[in-house]
Amino acid sequence: MSASPTARQAFTHALPKTKKIFISDPIQMPEVYSSTPGGTLYSTTPGGTKLIYERAFLKDLRGSPLSQTPPSDLPTCLLRGTPRTPFRKCVPPPVDLVKKPRSMKIEDHEQFQLEL
Amino acid sequence: MMFQSDFHRKKNFANPNLFNNSTAAEKPAPPQQPTPASGRPDAKEETKEQEEVRTEHLFKHPLHNTWTLWYLENDRSKSWEDMQNEITSFDTVEDFWSLYNHIKPPSDIKLGSDYSLFKKGIRPMWEDAGNKQGGRWVITLNKTSKADLDNLWLDVLLCLIGEAFEHSDEVCGAVVNIRGKNNKISIWTANGNNEEAALEIGNKLREALRLGRQNLHYQLHKDTMVKTGSNVKSVYTL
Repeated sequence: MSASPTARQAFTHALPKTKKIFISDPIQMPEVYSSTPGGTLYSTTPGGTKLIYERAFLKDLRGSPLSQTPPSDLPTCLLRGTPRTPFRKCVPPPVDLVKKPRSMKIEDHEQFQLEL
Repeated sequence: MMFQSDFHRKKNFANPNLFNNSTAAEKPAPPQQPTPASGRPDAKEETKEQEEVRTEHLFKHPLHNTWTLWYLENDRSKSWEDMQNEITSFDTVEDFWSLYNHIKPPSDIKLGSDYSLFKKGIRPMWEDAGNKQGGRWVITLNKTSKADLDNLWLDVLLCLIGEAFEHSDEVCGAVVNIRGKNNKISIWTANGNNEEAALEIGNKLREALRLGRQNLHYQLHKDTMVKTGSNVKSVYTL
């Protein structure tokens, strides 16, 4: 979605920083809450709307059930609560993950033996 | 487990008969967690409120950028570049917490190690095309407790992934160096000549991290690269 910061920089100078819209009559107000007078606030951001999250909101999501699963690629020696182990001892990944493709191959092979 | 009981409640809520019916006995076996009694007048309202809280927990919130976590550990048999290990990438708030909730905090990693969080595609090195013209705000933590170190690092991470800076396009990433009494946190930006962006990011950092009177120094990577002593000149100071 985003270009590299150096590439993006080319846009920034051309963009107006603030835009003042004067309202003289209530009829000039937008009909929906998601819009601001004179157009939606972020509609001019290159690359579309910028997703901003405040600290309190982010912290609140820490307890979500979806935030509890450890990432499968996390090396064991960086897991919370484990003793300090040299990093090179916990890479490569656990053996059972490496073995998986082989067992799948065998299953494939067996399927071919079925009479159709 | 919590998810399961949520599911039960949701099912009950979706069935209006359960609320109209005053005899609780007809209910199927209740889930382990207490559910509001169906006869109570405020029961419906209460459930609604809980429903609202849960909605945030039902889907993952996408981040503006994909971020990659790196871990550097001193290893004399390797070149500096090879000591950098790419750990994992994430692009939602929940996946960030899944990582953070399970990975050792900075205070618990080896002396001489670094964590770096960078936008995906930018390596945490001066030489990377995204950093070449850039520099960093350095926060030196001389007498910071372990808990404060971890909290500061977390707050920096939340500023990055939440895109807290007006010039967040200029941000490349952040690094925490674990060096005993000279721990450091730095925030890397893409262009050291962009004074306006650098100052905005520096000021926002001071505010977000409640740094008080602590000095903040901005150093260009090209100056850090050729340093002779321990002093690198600062191009901006806050």
